[in-house]
Amino acid sequence: MAELKGTSGEEGTLSMMSFKYIMRDTMRLLTRHWGLSLLTLVTAVSLFFLLASSALFSLNVRHFVSEVEDDLVISVFIKEGEDASNLVANLQEVDFIKDIRVIPPEKGLEHLKAKIGSQARAVTLLGENPLPWSVEIQVIRSAFINPLVRDLLSFPDVEDVVYAGHLAEKLTKVSAVLNRLSLSVLMLAIIITALVLYNTVKIALYTREKEIGIMLLVGATQTYIALPFVLQGMFLGTLGSLLAVSMIAGAYPSVIEIIKSTLPFIQVIDDPVLLLRFYVILVGTGMTLGWLSSWFAVHKYIVRACCPD
Amino acid sequence: MEIRLAGVTKVYEPDITALEDIYLNIDKGEFVYLVGTTGSGKTTLLRLITREIIPTRGQIVVANTNLRNMRNSALPFYRRELGVVFQDYRLLHHLTVYENVAFVLESTGTQPRVVRDIASRVLDDVGLWRLRKHYPLQLSGGEQQRLAIARAMVNSPSVFIADEPTGNLDLHTSEDIMQLLLSINAAGTTVLVATHDQYLVDAYRQRVVELHNGRIKRDERRGRYFVDDEF
Repeated sequence: MAELKGTSGEEGTLSMMSFKYIMRDTMRLLTRHWGLSLLTLVTAVSLFFLLASSALFSLNVRHFVSEVEDDLVISVFIKEGEDASNLVANLQEVDFIKDIRVIPPEKGLEHLKAKIGSQARAVTLLGENPLPWSVEIQVIRSAFINPLVRDLLSFPDVEDVVYAGHLAEKLTKVSAVLNRLSLSVLMLAIIITALVLYNTVKIALYTREKEIGIMLLVGATQTYIALPFVLQGMFLGTLGSLLAVSMIAGAYPSVIEIIKSTLPFIQVIDDPVLLLRFYVILVGTGMTLGWLSSWFAVHKYIVRACCPD
Repeated sequence: MEIRLAGVTKVYEPDITALEDIYLNIDKGEFVYLVGTTGSGKTTLLRLITREIIPTRGQIVVANTNLRNMRNSALPFYRRELGVVFQDYRLLHHLTVYENVAFVLESTGTQPRVVRDIASRVLDDVGLWRLRKHYPLQLSGGEQQRLAIARAMVNSPSVFIADEPTGNLDLHTSEDIMQLLLSINAAGTTVLVATHDQYLVDAYRQRVVELHNGRIKRDERRGRYFVDDEF
């Protein structure tokens, strides 16, 4: 008896011709309901713009905080009659310390004189050098300052510790709040974009329900049916993110100029390589989001439509 | 392509028994009428063969392949062996006559040149070539039915399944459709037709399988729509 032709064949392998038909179907999907496609695109652009802006804002906050952190110094004054060697030996084992500078009393005096300028004579009136040995410490992040200061104060050779404690605390708190805020905006934008793309593909699926039913009955593979919808989602996601990135890339240099002229103490990111990387990641996110949301929309539907119960 | 049904029962949720304990063998190249009242199980039987649904109990074997064990990935290749004409035609109204036929071949990745050749030939066979640029809603009922048949023929199926192919057509058009089905069968294709059309069953005598309340009531070679003592 004759065997059934082709039932051993695996679906999933697409011929070049099938791919051409799929591309044509994708274009049809995008143009048949062009109003819906346009609406999805505008929504995607707005959301990706929000997403990119909040990510860029978060990056700049981090950049600014790290710049300020770089300037934060803990000054440790050693008890009279002691030197800094014991303390330095202990500090070298701490991994979050970026830099340690030992300042002998003479050097400290020079620094003091340079700092107070015209009033330096007042210091020389004392006769002998009143300054002890001191150590200047820089940490990799401001959050490490307070615990380190507590440890330093308990060290027997240490007389006093001077640091911008209040500023360090504030900086840590502000940085955490801003990071949390921009992360929330980022997550919200991602979820809304995914839902909008998912919905668009779902509507396209429902409008072609009859066609899909016939395609399944005449032997079209699941891949052949699903791919135009997945490509539709990917196209809208990619184009949405690309347009948003173009807008951000066009406006960002002007924003930098304004910040530099009005708030010169604020450091903003203007490294072109870093920015390019950021834009590429954003477009990649758009493409991935489009692919994932449309795949979820199609997969469930096609599996339900083609698998008998 | 031969079809074997052994002890097939189909129960729809919650407990509607559409078919019960069906044993039926259809040989390659046979022409079979499925007759019976509405709700007797004709459409369910056809949907089981196209594997739109699977039986609750029993086995369906088509060309040595048990449909129950068939993997979902193999289903499209099985369905390319079937030509199905639906009761409501299911034509795509936004596509032209030509596109409705070509679309089936495109769905299976056929080269455009081959699509053109086959679609033109099939449309010519069913007498719709001159209307190839029309849309389905611009066609008469008979023409729409012929288009549905053309679409089912285009893959050169081994089994041709038609659910009420002459449902709403006048006698003359129904005879045209019947001639088409007979010519498909003459080319060696197994033809399975679910029908209520007493005139056609009696005029073009073939094997008749009558269903009643989901069971086979009668299976006759060269049968009539009704058994003689029912008159």
